[in-house]
Amino acid sequence: MTRTPSKIPLFYPMMLVTAGIIAFLETGPGHGGGSSLLMTLVFWITVVEGCIAVAAICDLVHAKWIVTLKEELLSPVPLLLFLTVLFLLLGFKIDLYPWMQDEGRWLNKPFFLIRNAVVLLVTYGAALRYAALSREEDDRKVSAAVLYLFAFVLSQSLVAFDWVMSLDYPWYSTLFGAYFFVEAIFSGLAVAGILFALRYRREVEKAGEKKEYLRDLATLLFGFSILWGGLFFTQYLVIWYGNLPEEVVYLVERITDSPWRELSFLVILCFFAAPFFLFLPRRTKTLPGMVTLVSLIILGGLFVERLLFLKPALPLPTMIFLLESLGFFLLFSLQVGRSRA
Amino acid sequence: MNPSIPPEQIEQDVLAAMKKPGLLYWLALLFCGTVFIAGMVCWGYQLKTGLGVAGISHPVAWGIYITNFVFWVGIAHSGTLISAVLFLLRARFRTSFNRAAEAMTVFALMVAGLFPLIHLGRTWVFYYLIPYPNQRQIWVNFRSPLIWDVFAISTYLTVSLVFFYVGMIPDFAVVRRYAKGIRKKIYQVLSLGWEGRLGEWRNYNQLYLFLAAFATPLVASVHSIVSWDFAMSILPGWHTTIFAPYFVAGAILSGTAMVITLVVPLRKTLSLQRYITDDHFEAIAKILLFTSLIVSYAYIVEPALAAYGKNPFEIEEFRYRAFGDYGTLFWIMIFCNSILPLALFVKRLRRNIHFLFVLSLFVNIGMWLERFVIIVTSLARDYNPYAWGTYHPSIIEIGITLGGFGLFFSAYLVFLKTLPVLSITEIKERSDGTGNHS
Amino acid sequence: MAREIILENREAFVRKLRELVDGGVPAEKIHAQFPYPVHEVEEILGRRPGPVRYFTLIGAVTGFVAGFGLTIYTVLSWPMITGGKPLVSIPPFLLIAYILTILFGSLASFAGFFFLSILPKIGRLFTPLTEQANRFIITVEEEKR
Repeated sequence: MTRTPSKIPLFYPMMLVTAGIIAFLETGPGHGGGSSLLMTLVFWITVVEGCIAVAAICDLVHAKWIVTLKEELLSPVPLLLFLTVLFLLLGFKIDLYPWMQDEGRWLNKPFFLIRNAVVLLVTYGAALRYAALSREEDDRKVSAAVLYLFAFVLSQSLVAFDWVMSLDYPWYSTLFGAYFFVEAIFSGLAVAGILFALRYRREVEKAGEKKEYLRDLATLLFGFSILWGGLFFTQYLVIWYGNLPEEVVYLVERITDSPWRELSFLVILCFFAAPFFLFLPRRTKTLPGMVTLVSLIILGGLFVERLLFLKPALPLPTMIFLLESLGFFLLFSLQVGRSRA
Repeated sequence: MNPSIPPEQIEQDVLAAMKKPGLLYWLALLFCGTVFIAGMVCWGYQLKTGLGVAGISHPVAWGIYITNFVFWVGIAHSGTLISAVLFLLRARFRTSFNRAAEAMTVFALMVAGLFPLIHLGRTWVFYYLIPYPNQRQIWVNFRSPLIWDVFAISTYLTVSLVFFYVGMIPDFAVVRRYAKGIRKKIYQVLSLGWEGRLGEWRNYNQLYLFLAAFATPLVASVHSIVSWDFAMSILPGWHTTIFAPYFVAGAILSGTAMVITLVVPLRKTLSLQRYITDDHFEAIAKILLFTSLIVSYAYIVEPALAAYGKNPFEIEEFRYRAFGDYGTLFWIMIFCNSILPLALFVKRLRRNIHFLFVLSLFVNIGMWLERFVIIVTSLARDYNPYAWGTYHPSIIEIGITLGGFGLFFSAYLVFLKTLPVLSITEIKERSDGTGNHS
Repeated sequence: MAREIILENREAFVRKLRELVDGGVPAEKIHAQFPYPVHEVEEILGRRPGPVRYFTLIGAVTGFVAGFGLTIYTVLSWPMITGGKPLVSIPPFLLIAYILTILFGSLASFAGFFFLSILPKIGRLFTPLTEQANRFIITVEEEKR
């Protein structure tokens, strides 16, 4: 797993070019008010920060299975910088948010942009430091991991409250932040699942140990599906039971009409039902194909759920969004793939 | 982790705790028993005179009885966490705490279960809470969080008891060899004739795994349901979505503190330093720190989002909580639960048993106050200023509260002398250095 | 008849067991007693997990059905709307079903454990056949002559 230094400089120019293309798309004709940019941001920041968070948590609790995957999970760190750049582009699209009609002390354009950019940069810095120390197996990696996790929780909470929840201002739910960072870890685990299953196929040696690791990973996904179910239910139940008009409207908008109703059920299916029932039998937990499938379903669920959250900002301009996702996906795979070389 | 200790040595060391108690033990038991009985006398007086002897009234109809209920349910939680969750996570240090923690769970739940009954006032009709076909021709309201409580707490008590007992079966088989006379007969019956056969172990291991797997989501749901007693209402400060995970984390925080409070003196008086090492205390201190951080996160998010939104009632509620009639209690709570545990980031303090013990006492106080502050402040100030009021516990309520502590510690003292305080079997497994733990 | 081998510690026990199995003794003929769980045993004897899990599954499913059954039946037998909620309110009923799933699942596993391990051993309660203490005992069934 040695990194090939000659490729490193290539990555940053590619990132710049992609950012340029995205900037062009977003400001060009048919840009659709920035919803595609926001969607790209909220999906990828979850995945990228989630991967690193999974590595950090595993380092903290000395989980064994991470050793084989650490390089891959840490490789998306530079993408955090890219996400910061993309976030600043959101400044041109800030009219997306309803609170722009009535700016307050917390939700106003300059403060919104500055605090989020700062937190993103801090998270990036913490991730860089943690990744470097962790690769060297330095003793300070533990404190670096803790620092990263603090930044991660802060960053995901801001993503939840600022980027997403404020689309429905003044509606709020106090669980949103926690819900987001749990989902980030969940999706990080799903990415780990895919990577591990891919590797599992390629290398057959040490099969017994690998099987154990795969089972541990599948069990974690299983456990997280229950945790997610619990958090989802908690949030739903309180709002449903309270039935306060200003609060319940958020749910009503999303579960009465097609296609939102169907998408809502799909989210529960992807995040809870699929991992829970597919991993309930003992044997499926050690099948690489099954782990890949479930992980893909979970990431699909994440995508659909982000769409639901972004409902007030929709519709998405399809072409632009596809191009942006493709660009991001390529950058992500390039980074991860390079670390596996 | 531990140097290999011969199994006979382990048995003798652990069972030494069950020897004839000394004077100090009897004095402690006498004290706790007296406090308990005094509490029961208070309850008797309340039953005879009526609920008016308690300070609860309009608008604060839930006072320290409910505070105690939530507090004791919370204490129970970390027992299950240590025995079930750490088992699933294969954390090795669990073995040092699990028996003491499980016993704590069972006793804390018994005390917790008492308080809603006390709070009922007309305790003798408590069976109205249970769904059964009856001459009143009416069923309980399954949409009420209070009925969820009945189900959750009784299930939790049952499953905890089963888990506690199952964990002890192989240990009873050890105790029966050492005990004499009538005690021998009792332990023989309790051990069910366990012989440690291959088939027995296989079923046993599977059962234990399943019980752990059931207990883990159960423990999360129980305190979630307790939190929903509040969150299902539409009271400012109660009706909020973060309540369930926040309460669960708080429960584990208070329970972990209580485990430390109980195990530190236990280790000292029974000289179990060989089995419960400083490393193990450090590990449990990390759990304390972690849950304290989650609780602090909730402390920040709740008022922050009240300020973010446009609901004046929510804003006023959080202002009142921090700067109103109960403001002092609020800041003591913040200090005990959020600020003081931050010291655990220092490794030296994590390993300092005296510091941990003192800290655990502070956290216990802080968590009790947390429940008090949440319950009372929201009721004292709701939407209508004409319905505002304050609450102070009466002497009877305080007596019953202390009685609850008396019951808990008496039960714990009895446990120390009747059951093995550490899991002998698991310590043997661990001490072999080849246990199935990573 | 049976041959009994008594071993003093865990390593010797595992070694002996491996030796027996490698020596061609079928796994079903080997019985053992040991003072604490030894995870290699399952590995060496290569047995599939025991049937306790079926008890668990049946118990859990029964609990789930019973939870919904009880709540829906009672609410329909005396239809009374409270709190403006629909009569059959799935979210709260789901909670009852969830708790009963866990309750029945655990109790069924517990019962299954008793049943499958033939516990309590009523006849031998006060005089266990062998008090193994901390020894490891392997018993090998021999062919009938």
